[in-house]
Amino acid sequence: MPKSEKNFQEGCGGFFIKDVENSLSQKGMFLSSTDKKFAVINPARMCQPLGAVQALLGVKGAMPLIHGSQGCSTYMRFQLCRHFREPINISSTSMSESTVVYGGEKNLIKALDTITRQYEPELIGVTSSCLTETIGDDMDLIIRNFLKDNNDFPVIPISTPSYAGSHVEGYNHALRALVEKLVNPTSVHYSEEKSTFESSYIDNKLNNLRRDPKYVNKNYNVKINLITGLISPSDVFTIKDLLQEMELESIILTDTSQSLHSPLNGEINFLPSQGTTIAQIKDTINSRGTICLSRHADSAGVFLEKNFGVKLINIPLPVGLSATDQFVETLSAVGNKEIPENIKLERGQLLDAMVDAHAYNYKRRVAIYGEPDMVIGLTRFLSELGMHPVVVCTGTQSNIFRDEIGVMALEYGHDIHIISGGDLYDLQQKIVEEDVELLLGNSYSARIASEKNIPLIRVGFPVFDRIGAQRINITGYRAGLNFLDKVTNTIMERYYDPGIQEKI
Amino acid sequence: MPHDLFEVDKSIPERKKHIYIKDNADPAQEIPSCNTKTIPGCMTERGCAFAGLKGVITGAVKDAAHVVHSPVGCTAYGYGTKRYPTTSDMPDGGKFPLENFNLKYIMGTDLKESDVVFGGMKKLRQSILEAAKEFPEANAIYAYATCTTGLIGDDMDGVVKELSEELGKDVVAFNAPGFSGPTQSKGHHVGNHTLFQHLVGTKEPPETTPYDVNLIGEYNIDGDLWILKPYFKEMGINILSTFTGDCCHDEICWMHRAKLSLVRCQRSATYIADLIEKEYGVPYMKVDFFGPTYCAENLRAIGKHFGLEDKAEEVIKDRMDKIKPDLEFYKEKLQGKKVWVFSGGPKNWHLPRPLEECLGMEVVAVSTMFEHEDGYEKIKERVKEDTVIVDDPNSLEMEEIVEKYQPDIMLSGVKEKYLAHKLQLPCVLIHSYENGPYIGFEGFINLAKDIYAAIYNPVWDMVEFQEEVEETPELNEEINQSENIKLKA
Repeated sequence: MPKSEKNFQEGCGGFFIKDVENSLSQKGMFLSSTDKKFAVINPARMCQPLGAVQALLGVKGAMPLIHGSQGCSTYMRFQLCRHFREPINISSTSMSESTVVYGGEKNLIKALDTITRQYEPELIGVTSSCLTETIGDDMDLIIRNFLKDNNDFPVIPISTPSYAGSHVEGYNHALRALVEKLVNPTSVHYSEEKSTFESSYIDNKLNNLRRDPKYVNKNYNVKINLITGLISPSDVFTIKDLLQEMELESIILTDTSQSLHSPLNGEINFLPSQGTTIAQIKDTINSRGTICLSRHADSAGVFLEKNFGVKLINIPLPVGLSATDQFVETLSAVGNKEIPENIKLERGQLLDAMVDAHAYNYKRRVAIYGEPDMVIGLTRFLSELGMHPVVVCTGTQSNIFRDEIGVMALEYGHDIHIISGGDLYDLQQKIVEEDVELLLGNSYSARIASEKNIPLIRVGFPVFDRIGAQRINITGYRAGLNFLDKVTNTIMERYYDPGIQEKI
Repeated sequence: MPHDLFEVDKSIPERKKHIYIKDNADPAQEIPSCNTKTIPGCMTERGCAFAGLKGVITGAVKDAAHVVHSPVGCTAYGYGTKRYPTTSDMPDGGKFPLENFNLKYIMGTDLKESDVVFGGMKKLRQSILEAAKEFPEANAIYAYATCTTGLIGDDMDGVVKELSEELGKDVVAFNAPGFSGPTQSKGHHVGNHTLFQHLVGTKEPPETTPYDVNLIGEYNIDGDLWILKPYFKEMGINILSTFTGDCCHDEICWMHRAKLSLVRCQRSATYIADLIEKEYGVPYMKVDFFGPTYCAENLRAIGKHFGLEDKAEEVIKDRMDKIKPDLEFYKEKLQGKKVWVFSGGPKNWHLPRPLEECLGMEVVAVSTMFEHEDGYEKIKERVKEDTVIVDDPNSLEMEEIVEKYQPDIMLSGVKEKYLAHKLQLPCVLIHSYENGPYIGFEGFINLAKDIYAAIYNPVWDMVEFQEEVEETPELNEEINQSENIKLKA
């Protein structure tokens, strides 16, 4: 059995996938994927390089380079710029007709050369594209030819064809490629797994470095590696803050908290001036453990566990009360630290607000749409608030998503329409069928909300029709409290008369 | 020395020929090298042919369903990216049932690895059939090649030909994969030719008048078209077809019946005006409606063509009277402010003179993403001596332009906007606009207002943490006192 599924069974409190599936079908739940139609109508996911680029933008001094047509990097810069409202630099190998015919070696080498001279990056992350995957460019080989003897300069190939997976997989692949290449650039080559979270992580290509005497009896340090998954810079910041409050040293993979939320101070940075450093990534092999908050982005953690014995702990994204509890408890256990009073205070305040808000939120029918980990987190949080998530949708096809939502459905006794790998058209149809009263989703769902006259709380990526996308904060107790206020007040604004609450 | 190698380009001296500083002594053909491939790794702002095609030419058509033959990425990025609103009004007086259909929906074939190996024809066929079934209202289906499908060699023309017959409506294939041509301009070109070849001359308009025009290259960005339309109506001129802002599929089919074509965006759409002239003998006139001066000039020229000079004068007088007080206000406020215009192409020659003559500004730098020789010649003609003209600037050059030429404001697109802000340079979007429309008489006031607002944003006075306070004996005394109070407390 693939390890990812095994992990899931262990991690979900005794439910087994078969049970979940049986129960779901007994309850008449709709598990939709792309089976019903051929075309995608208004995609709910983006392509792999976009996720890979986001991972790279959290590495200090890194330049992302897309090996493909100019359109790939321009479209992604456009998408990232309008979301983060920050300058985004993504370079391109500018492939054209003639280079398509003769292969992209010349363009890739020229691009690496130009970037190195012009921007002097500390690292270049090269993602492939549909185009260069289709013509079969061997990026590994070309990069080796470029580097020649200069093996210390990290140029990291990341295979990210858009015809497989989504930006979520691209993010996952990029993290793994970063860690693999940086911890041992000479002996480790990037593996060619197609989709990490669907596969078994059996990686024969890798030298099992644990057998290497170098790593026997090694001393792990006190640091914790933390894989956040695709979350907003403010969420990364919140998590860093929590770690600091618990006096834990950490290495964030990767830290976009400042690089994608930078101040106006007269400085312009063409490369991230803040973020995870290369030295830190190299140091991940010595950490006490890896805490991964995204089941969809854990391949770097799996790699570190398999090859360097760094324990991987998969826990849910800390959204809402119980998931944050689990995060704090895990930190406390792994770091051997007491939970500080201040954190307990924040927990109590969130709990208090949840009690206060319950009367307004109870049984409200909500739809949640976005990246799989975020949707899983929000589904749990809203369920904790007494709400009823009736439709949950992610564009990424994921068994993990389907199963984790399934478990929650059983736990809370909810009927939930699960759309995994669907599009916005599926979402729209289910929203109409299910009489949804509140929608949580990104800007792509804004038209559905306005047409169906449903209040929308914008969350996820991309949010381009409102300001502050990088500050949308849902993780931890404090942000959870603010988010709870937002949700409840949105409900009160729409469904209660103004000025007459609380009646005496 | 007309060409200049920027400091930041020392390692890529090829860039020198793309940067030209206007010198009146130079011959007219001395312009930046342009419309050539970008140096790989240069942080270009350019896009791809597919973006130019779907994002500019065809995406504005209100009643066509768009099917992108691609893996998911191109479909996702081609969705909802341009601000070209549409009404549901149809030329026969009816209503198209789906409002802003062109902005709301995009379809894709969602190619997977096996399709790349075995071909995507079957999926394309099925997707088009699906699109026709899901949106029976759509009057046509446009299918787009992308990098992947261009490479695997799917015969899209064959599929759409078959399906046109099967479905009884036009299904058109556009073959502009992302890798074709050096910029998005290639996509404009392909779009023009494909639409001309397959559609123009295939239908007849419900009625014609002696005053029918095609308004070509007007995409109704943020409602630009809706500013221009009343001018024509008041002059007694009938816009038979718009190419392609707020237009319907059939309008393109009967473009051959106009008496005159007016070419608004001359970079992206002169091609089709040319083709229509050659094939059907419909003459065309290049027009410019940015800024009150050009707007008046061109309305007069159109009026003259149709013998409607008096009507044109009435429109011009009416609008000039309306905008005059605002124009005077903004001219006073913006006098002497230096501006850098960075557009896709034509706005680089549309805007400099109106900004200088009507608003008193000084254009110090202009740059384009995809302009060709003819455009650069016009740009050069309309900017003053010593203005720097840059073809396809990279991000480092952009910083150098700011340092060297010290503009007070940049007019550009969204990718450049946040870079400008970090350099403490105000920026107004001129591709998709901030608070448009920007065309015509009234639109120019909107532009002036946005420029004024950006420059006079109070935040620019607060960039420094604290004004340095000169130390005086009184101030020291105050500080001492407050410290004493604290100590006592």
